[in-house]
Amino acid sequence: MSVHSVSIAKERLKNLLITDRIQCTPDAADRLTKDLYHTVSKYMEVKADQFDIEITRNDIHIKYAGENK
Amino acid sequence: MGEVIVITSGKGGVGKTTTTANIGIGLSELGKKVMVIDTDLGLRNLDVVMGLENRIVYNIVDVIEGNCRLKQALVKDKRFPELYLLPSAQTRDKTSISPEQMKKLIEDIREEFDFILLDCPAGIEQGFQNAIAGADRSIVVTTPEVSAIRDADRIIGLLEASGIRKNELLINRLRIDMVKRGDMMSVDDVTEILAVDLLGVIPDDEQVVIATNQGEPVVGEDGLAGSAYMNICRRLLGEDIPMEDYMKPEGLLKKLSSIFQRN
Repeated sequence: MSVHSVSIAKERLKNLLITDRIQCTPDAADRLTKDLYHTVSKYMEVKADQFDIEITRNDIHIKYAGENK
Repeated sequence: MGEVIVITSGKGGVGKTTTTANIGIGLSELGKKVMVIDTDLGLRNLDVVMGLENRIVYNIVDVIEGNCRLKQALVKDKRFPELYLLPSAQTRDKTSISPEQMKKLIEDIREEFDFILLDCPAGIEQGFQNAIAGADRSIVVTTPEVSAIRDADRIIGLLEASGIRKNELLINRLRIDMVKRGDMMSVDDVTEILAVDLLGVIPDDEQVVIATNQGEPVVGEDGLAGSAYMNICRRLLGEDIPMEDYMKPEGLLKKLSSIFQRN
């Protein structure tokens, strides 16, 4: 089955921008997500599968209930 | 007082110079007094794209070092109402000018023009710092490719850090056929990832190559790129021109007329 190359390009680009924006390796970006999850979960109930972070040029958005922004 | 816009990209070869030339010419055709400045010291190109390479006497470094007056270095493009080029220096390098000198030059001349467009060199080093020093706002040129978009993101970050708040995106060389079959990122994909305002989209158009060969503009000509560049110029003048929708399926009328044309 062939995958359209756009989805590959977008995935690669998103990973590049995250590591460029916080100047770290993909591995460190994963650890940052995990650390933030642990920190937030000390204060509120969050589910791991609903927790995600988005790193933009100026801020880090934390999603904890699966909603968009 | 004139508006100072830097045309930049980070990555080379995405169309900064072609964009500077065509927006400069378009604004001039719309009745504005325009100066285009080539800030790429050592790699002079804007004059060639505009077909003015045989008319250069002095350059921007001569002006800054006081070897000539600004008026002597300016090349007036006689094909258009009020369009002037300040050429770069081919035999000097980027350290020949400082950001402070560039800022002063622009402050000295901005009263006399409606628009000053700065064609920025590729990269993020001193040439870039020089080019953005006097700018009020930017046009960030990218193509729908991973490497060009990555560099555009970096450049937008640097522009914001330098206090330039109005940074708008120009997506160049969009291949409509490839987007339709899922092999090129769409306008929406790029703007969503970069989270920045869109100024315009230039579809890939061989007329750009042909015009550049001849040192002629495409802006205002019939064809996809020519009309897209003119729309961008109108948006810069504050007109409310909707974004072209290149993704819509061909209308019935167009299909019918192409059938009749064949017969």
